[in-house]
Formats: sequence, C-alpha cells, structure tokens
Amino acid sequence: MMVRESLRLSWRAITGHKLRSALTIVGIVIGIAAVITFVTLGASLQAGIIGDISPDDQRSLYGWAADPDVEGGPGAGAQPIFSDSDLAAVADLEEVDAAYGYAPVGTRSIASGDQRLPQGDGVIATGPSYVRESTLADGRQFETGAREAVLNPAAAGQFEENVSVGDELTITLLGGGQTDVEVVGITDSSEGLSPFEGFENSPRVYVPTDPFYAEQVGTEGQDTGDGGLRFAAIVIEAPSADDGAVDDARSAAEAYFESDDSDAGEFLGEDLAVSLETSTELLQQLQDVLEIFQSFIVGIAAISLVVASIGIANIMLVSVTERTREIGIMKAVGAQKRDVLGLFLLEAVVLGLIGAVLGTVLGLVVGYLGAQYIDLPVVYPLEYVVLAVAVGIVVGIGSGLYPAWRAARTDPIEALRYE
Amino acid sequence: MPGTQSAVSLTDVSKTYYRGEPVYALDGVSLEIPRGSYTAIMGPSGTGKSTLMNLVGCLDTPTSGRVSIDGRDAGGLSDRERTRLRGSEIGFVFQTFNLMPRLTALENVRLPQLFQDVPRGERTDRARTLLERVGLADRTEHFPNELSGGQRQRVALARALVNDPAIVLADEPSGNLDTETEAEVLDLFSEFHEAGTTLVVVTHERHVAERADRIVHLLDGAIERIERLDASDSTDGDRDRSSGAAP
Repeated sequence: MMVRESLRLSWRAITGHKLRSALTIVGIVIGIAAVITFVTLGASLQAGIIGDISPDDQRSLYGWAADPDVEGGPGAGAQPIFSDSDLAAVADLEEVDAAYGYAPVGTRSIASGDQRLPQGDGVIATGPSYVRESTLADGRQFETGAREAVLNPAAAGQFEENVSVGDELTITLLGGGQTDVEVVGITDSSEGLSPFEGFENSPRVYVPTDPFYAEQVGTEGQDTGDGGLRFAAIVIEAPSADDGAVDDARSAAEAYFESDDSDAGEFLGEDLAVSLETSTELLQQLQDVLEIFQSFIVGIAAISLVVASIGIANIMLVSVTERTREIGIMKAVGAQKRDVLGLFLLEAVVLGLIGAVLGTVLGLVVGYLGAQYIDLPVVYPLEYVVLAVAVGIVVGIGSGLYPAWRAARTDPIEALRYE
Repeated sequence: MPGTQSAVSLTDVSKTYYRGEPVYALDGVSLEIPRGSYTAIMGPSGTGKSTLMNLVGCLDTPTSGRVSIDGRDAGGLSDRERTRLRGSEIGFVFQTFNLMPRLTALENVRLPQLFQDVPRGERTDRARTLLERVGLADRTEHFPNELSGGQRQRVALARALVNDPAIVLADEPSGNLDTETEAEVLDLFSEFHEAGTTLVVVTHERHVAERADRIVHLLDGAIERIERLDASDSTDGDRDRSSGAAP
C-alpha cells in the first residue's frame, strides 16, 4: 500500500476527531516544549559565559596554590607562595609567553578631580598583558613599574565627569597612603577579564603589580624573611591558544614549581598543590553544575513524554475499538494485516510527529523569550531539535504499536458484524 | 470467454464452530457457481447463509471440504494469500453499505485498489468509470453521510466491482432500502449481470431472489433444493448448465 494513500487515510482519521487528536497532541507538545526550552536556555547560558572568553583568553592559564581538598571557585583557599623570581623564571620558559601575578589591592577610595568615591575592591594589580590589547576601547596597556592604570567603562563612568585616557586619579590605599595614577587605557567591557574576577559587571581599575602590589605588601626595600613579594594568584600565558601549546606551558610551569629552583616549591606538598587551569576548564566546573540541573529538568520533561505516550496509546486503543467496523471493511476489500498495522501505526506516528514539531517550535520560542529576558545570547540547540522529532516518532511508534497490532489481528467477520 | 471453469466451486464443505459444543453451521455442501451466473441464496435465519458467504468470500476457511475461487483452492492458502485473493477476486456488497465514513465516494471505490497496489492513475480512471456506470458521476466527492441509502449502495457496488472480481457477493443488498430504491439497485445488479458479472445474493425476500437465475434454498446447514428460474432475460444456455450437487 502506498505511503501517500496511507498518510491520507491516517490524516482523515486524525482530523475526524479534531478535539481528541488535539488534546492527545498537547501532551507531547508540553513534554517536547519543556525539553527544548530548558535545553535552549542551558545552551544560551553556556554561550553567555563562554562568549566572555575571547580567543586570546584561551591561551591563559590561571594558577593558584591551595589545599587540594578545598572546593570552590577559581582561587579558593589560595595561599601566597609564588614569588617574583618564580614568575620571572616561568616567564623565561620556552613554552611560556608571559607570567605575572594577580592580586587585588586594598583601597579606601578613588578620586578624580574633586570627586572622591569610596572603593574597597576592584583595584587589581597584575601584569600588563592581563588587559589584552584586543579588549581596549581606547589607549594602551599600562607599563610595569609605571604609575599607570587601565579602567573599565564601569569605573570610568562612575564619576560625574567621565574619566578618559590622560586623566589623573588619586587612589587612597587601605594603609592610608595616597598615590596618583595616570589613566592610560579604557577597556571595551565592564565584565571581568578572567575567572579570578568573576564575570559580572562592576567598576575595575587595573594597575601594575610593580609598584602597587609591592607597596601594599610593604616589601619595598626590606627583607621580611620569607623571601619577599609573594602572590596567591598568577596568570601564565602560552604563546598560542592551541591546545598543545597551552598544555606544554602548563607542564613546563608545573615542572618548574616542583623543582628546587622554585620559591613556591618549598611550600608545595600534601597540603598545598598548584592548580593551573584555563578559563574553559574553570567554566567546565560551572557547566557541570548547569548540566546536572539541566538533566534534572529534562528528566522531568521525559516523564511528561512518557505520560503523553500513554495518552496516545489510550486514544489509539479507543480509536481501534471505535473503528472496528472500518477495519472489517478494509480487510474485506483486501487489506493485509500489515496494511492495517501500518495505517494505525502511521496515525500514532503522525500524532507524535505533530506534537514534536509543535513542541519544538513552542520550546524554541519560549527558550528565546527566556534567554532575552535574562539577557543571554540565544543559542538554538539544533541537535535537540532533530532529537525531539526523533522522539516524537519513537513515542508514536511505541504507543501505537500495541493498538495497531490489535487492529491488525481483528477478525474481519467479527468486525463486520460489530455495531 | 472462459466458461469451462466455475467462478466458485464448493465441494463437500462443512463448517463446525465450537461454542462449548460443536455447532454444524454447514454440513457437506457442494455448489458450483458458474461464471456469469446470478445465484440467490435463501433460507431461514441460522441456517448457514452467513457461513456460506464467509467461506465463498474467503473471510473464513472450511472445517472440511474444498472451496475454490477461480480455480484456486482457498483452503490451502495462507492468511496473506487468502486476503490477496479476496481483494482481487471477491467484491462485497453489504446490507449496511459499509462505506468508509471519512472517505469520499471516489475514495471508497478506490479503496480495494490501494491494497492491490494498482497504480494511481489507473485507480482513479476505473473508479470514476464505475461511479459513472452506477449513475453517480456527480457524487464522486461526496462523503457517505451526504448520500442517500440507494446512492450509498451504488457506491458499494462500484467498490465491489473495482478490482474486476470473479464474483460479487451481496448480503441482503436491499435490506435497508425502500421499495423504489430497492428496485433501482436491483436493476443495476441485473445490468451488471447482463454485462457478465457473476453475482451471489443472499436474501430473505422472495422478490429479490427472483431476479436471479436460480435460488439455492438452505436449511439447517445443507442445501434443501435448488430452484431454477426461467429468467426471461437469460438467453445464454451455458449459464443454466450450473450444476448444484445437493446431498
């Protein structure tokens, strides 16, 4: 029997009971739409976070030393063990492009002209290349050893008169000392530049570790007996974002920290281990949590699909009983078992498919609106669209098989007598 | 013209149902239905008419004996082959019309062709021609509930004929029709009979049966007698050579 004619017959049967068919389909629509919505939101959320990592950031390794048992985000439980000479030595490694410390500078306020704003965090002492040139909207990177700063738009815009390149800021340190800096660059985004900062928008001022961090720690010109300036967090840049290059840089740096040459090495052991991870790897942890959440929701949606398929099975069984006479007629005029089986199966599959397609469309629309609402770039998980359609077919077959089989083995003599 | 072979031949056919105790619905029936003949089957209720129809119509198989359709032994066929034989060689007309409610007249007529995998173009052509012949050329796109009883039965007749079967089985074809419509439908039967269609009509009504060449009277699962009618319109002597071997 031809597919086209079978489809026509199935379609007639479905449209013959519009309300019933519609209600059956609604069950599948809800199940599929729920899956697609949450998968779209999940994918968009991931893209929103990963989108913050520029290609340039992918060659950076973020390092800290902490008790391996400590759980938490990047830098959790970090101890200040990396010395200036460690960083210099790592930067000299063939596999490494740059290495520098990362340290928040404790401040009390920042002033521009006559306006003084209290600011306790957001001043970050680090290496010049931490602020990548590609993220600069204006000006240049600061230079090591100079009293220069790069601001993000949130920091520059918080004063009555927008701060721009060339302006002077006065930073009051936690200890009370004041220092003037020249603004040499403004970044293009107020989001954090690395996982150390987090990714939320907030005012940030980037300054060189030398002199700012050194001044804060107070090692300038004196020996404190613990080997001088120490960083809790460091950034190591590989020459390229290529996986191999990043891994080489990581191995080389790890080998150095484990060697006797390293100042940090003497503290490392059971209680303290170095973590060197890329943004992507750090985000992976966040993604893992997201994925667990997502599978949970998808699981619930899957249950609703099972319920929906029971609905189809139920309606198909009713339909088979109701159309016993029609089955008898078809068999009398020469329909084979497989013809009848095919017709009823096709009907169930069409129901499942319509539900899947409508559910997918609804899911994408709701996912889009949701992503817009929480301000994420919308990413459509296309593989899930294909999957949803496949699920629709499978649900149709799964729920239609038994009713169709019942229809196929109907005895035509009994069926023709059926009232 | 093949005239040597019967359209349907029953040889010592018995059918026994087991409903707690055996029920002998048919008991050693032998009957030849020649090609082009018009046979009526009469008998009281519960006398085996339906069982006979089901056997001739390849809907059922005999407990013993032999049923051959167009020379082929239906008893020896698999369910699938029997269904195929039924589809191509048997046309059914029912008392309650039994049209597919959600198919148009034309689609109903085409239905048996679908299961025989007749190409689409041919399907429509033959179905249309038949609908024209039963006088429904202007009703092809109507659904059964938009047709009168007589029109429905004519669609059913067209459907029965669409695969050019060896035999058309009609079970009380005018049972649900008023007298006038009944006459119209029976006239149509006669018309197709004259054109060479082999007809078997099961009926309670004497005047319906009298349209046939002969009447087979069934009683308690056996042929009581075969009554020959000198049909004025039947001039073909061959047709009257039908031999009904009664017990």
